[in-house]
Amino acid sequence: MVRYTESEIIVANAAREIVDGDIVVIGQGIPMAAGVLAKATHAPNCIILTEAGLVGIDPFRNPLHIADPTCTHGYAYSCDMIDVFATIVNRGLVDVTFLGVGQIDRYGNMNSTVFGDYDDFHMRMMGAGGAPEFFGYARKAVLTMRGGRFVEKLDYVSSPGYLDGYDARERAGFPPGSGPKVLYSTRGVFRFEEESKEIYLDGLFPGHSREEVQAEVPWGLKVADELKTLPPPTLEEVDLIRHFAPEIAAGRRLQLELSLPIILEALTARSQEGNQ
Amino acid sequence: MLQKWMDEDKRMSANEAVELFVSDGDSMVIANCLYGTPYALLHEVIRQHKKDLTVFQQGGIDELDQLLLGKCVSKLAVAYNFRVAGERIETVLERALRAGEVELEDYSNYTLLTMLQAGAMGYPFLPVMSGIRESDVYRVERAFKGQKFGEVECPFTGEKVAVVRGRNPDVAVLHVQRADKFGNAQLWGALINSKWACLASDKVIVSCEHIVDSDTITRTPHLTLVPGFRVCAVVEEPWGAHPSELLGFYDYDMPFRALFFMQTMSEEGGKAWMDEWIYGLDDRRVYLQHYCDRLGLDYLEELKARPFPSIPADYGCTGRGAWDEEDMSFNFQMKYDQFIQAMEEKGGFVDG
Repeated sequence: MVRYTESEIIVANAAREIVDGDIVVIGQGIPMAAGVLAKATHAPNCIILTEAGLVGIDPFRNPLHIADPTCTHGYAYSCDMIDVFATIVNRGLVDVTFLGVGQIDRYGNMNSTVFGDYDDFHMRMMGAGGAPEFFGYARKAVLTMRGGRFVEKLDYVSSPGYLDGYDARERAGFPPGSGPKVLYSTRGVFRFEEESKEIYLDGLFPGHSREEVQAEVPWGLKVADELKTLPPPTLEEVDLIRHFAPEIAAGRRLQLELSLPIILEALTARSQEGNQ
Repeated sequence: MLQKWMDEDKRMSANEAVELFVSDGDSMVIANCLYGTPYALLHEVIRQHKKDLTVFQQGGIDELDQLLLGKCVSKLAVAYNFRVAGERIETVLERALRAGEVELEDYSNYTLLTMLQAGAMGYPFLPVMSGIRESDVYRVERAFKGQKFGEVECPFTGEKVAVVRGRNPDVAVLHVQRADKFGNAQLWGALINSKWACLASDKVIVSCEHIVDSDTITRTPHLTLVPGFRVCAVVEEPWGAHPSELLGFYDYDMPFRALFFMQTMSEEGGKAWMDEWIYGLDDRRVYLQHYCDRLGLDYLEELKARPFPSIPADYGCTGRGAWDEEDMSFNFQMKYDQFIQAMEEKGGFVDG
C-alpha cells in the first residue's frame, strides 16, 4: 500500500494527461512537478516550455519560478516572452497547458485576479499572467486545484473557458476544440460535458465521496453515470515526485511548517553572530 | 525623435545614473523580472524618493512591493505579482490600493509586453490574440481608461482583431551579466520581457556584474541584448540583481526574500525593512557589507554559481580581404596596380 499526499495524487494523475511528443506549457508548482514526472516516465519526448522564453527545459529540481536556474541548466531554445506567445502559442503548437485554479465557474471560466469587488476587493491574487492566452489557445488545458473554489459567478474573468457553454467558445473565435478538458482537485477529477460544456464529477480519489465534493460546489453538480475511483500514485511515481519536488509533495502548509523555522533560526543565529 | 546615446564612456555610479536619467512623473519599465531583476537600480530610485512614476511591471516577486513601500508609484500596469501571504494578510499592493496611493491596470503577460513591442517598433498599435476580448482584462479599465485595448478591422480579411497601444516608457532599468563602457549590454538566461522593455524606452540604464572590453562584446554579438547607442548609462554593480539570480554569478536568495515577506506583513515591519535595507544604506557596496555583517559572508558564498560554461560559437571565416598580403585580388585575379590600370583602360574613371 503506497502512502501518498494530497498533492502527490494530483501530480501523478495530471502527469498522465501528457502524451509523448506533446509540447507543454507549464508554470511553477504542481503543474511543473506533473510535467517533469511525465517526462521522466511515459513521455520522454515531450517538450516543456515556460513563458519566460525557455523552451525544451529539463529542470533538475522543482523551480521556485518559471525562469530560475533549475530551468536553465541546459535547454534547447532561448527566446523571449513575445516569441513564446506569438510564434508558439498563437500558432496552435501548444498541446497541453496546465493552470492552477483560483475561482472557477460551471463552464470552466477562471479568475486568478481578484476576490470580491474589483475596487473594493477582498483579496488580490497574483493576476492574469500568461493564463488567458495559454488557456485560450492551447489544444487542451489541464486544471489543478488546491485551495481554489467553485463559484456560481466569477468576481473577475481572467481566463475565459467555455463562456456560457455549448458553442459559445468557438463562436467567440477561440480555436476549435480548445479549452479546459479536465480539473484535478484534492478530491477527484472533473471533466466537461461534450455538448453543454458544463463541468461534471468524473471520478473520485480513494477515500472521498461525492457528497463531500457537492458541499464545495454552489450548484447541483452533475456526476458521471459511472463514477470512477482513480488509482493512487505508484511507488515509482511518489519516489520521483519526492526526489524532484519534496516541497510540492509536502504541500504548501506542511512545507512552510517544516522550512520556516529553519529559515528563521538561520536568520536569527546569523544576525546575532553578525551583531557581536 | 528618439535620441541616440553616443558618448564613448557612459560609466557612472547608480546614484548618478538615477539622478540624471529618472525624473518624477516618468514612466519606467523594469526590464526583466523574476530573473536578473535590477534591484540595485531600483533601490537607488527608491533612495532618491522618485515620485509619481508610471510603472510597467511584467511579473514581480518583491520589487514592485519595494517601489510601493517607497511611495514611488502612482500608476501601475501589471500582469502578475507574486503573492506568498494567505487571505488574511494584507499585502503591500493591497495596502497601497486601499489607501488610494496607486491606480492599477491589469494586463495579461502577452498584452502588456505587446504594448512595449509595438512601442519598440515605432508602431501606434499591434494586434494581440483576440480571445482576450472575452475576459475582464479587456473589459475592466482603470489607470489607462480609454487607452487600454482597441479593436480594428483587418483590411485584408475583414476580421476584427483586438489591439493594444504602443507604449514608449521614459526609462528602462536593466541588469545584465556584462557590458562595455559604451553600453552594449549582454544578457543570457531567461530573457522574458528584457529586449522589448529596453528597445521601447527612450533611455536605458544598464547595470552589470562587470564591465568588459569591447573585444569581448564584438566576439559574442549574439549575446548583446541592447546596443550601446540606446543606452544612456552603464553602472558596474556586482550582485546588482540580488536577491534574484543571474546565471554564471549567483542563485536567488530565498531566506532573504522570506525575511522581506515576513517583515512586510505589517506596515511597521515594511518601514523597518526599507530603513534597514534601502534608506539606511548609501549604495550597493554598503548593502553588501551590511548583508555580510548581518547575515554572514558565508551566506553570500553559498549563493555563488558553479560554472556551466556555454560552448563558444566560432565566428571564423576565410578572413580573405579584397586584396591579400601580396596585393592580389582573389575575385579579379590581378594585383592592385593592374586593377587600377584596367580601370583606366576600360574607361572606368570619370573626367573631372
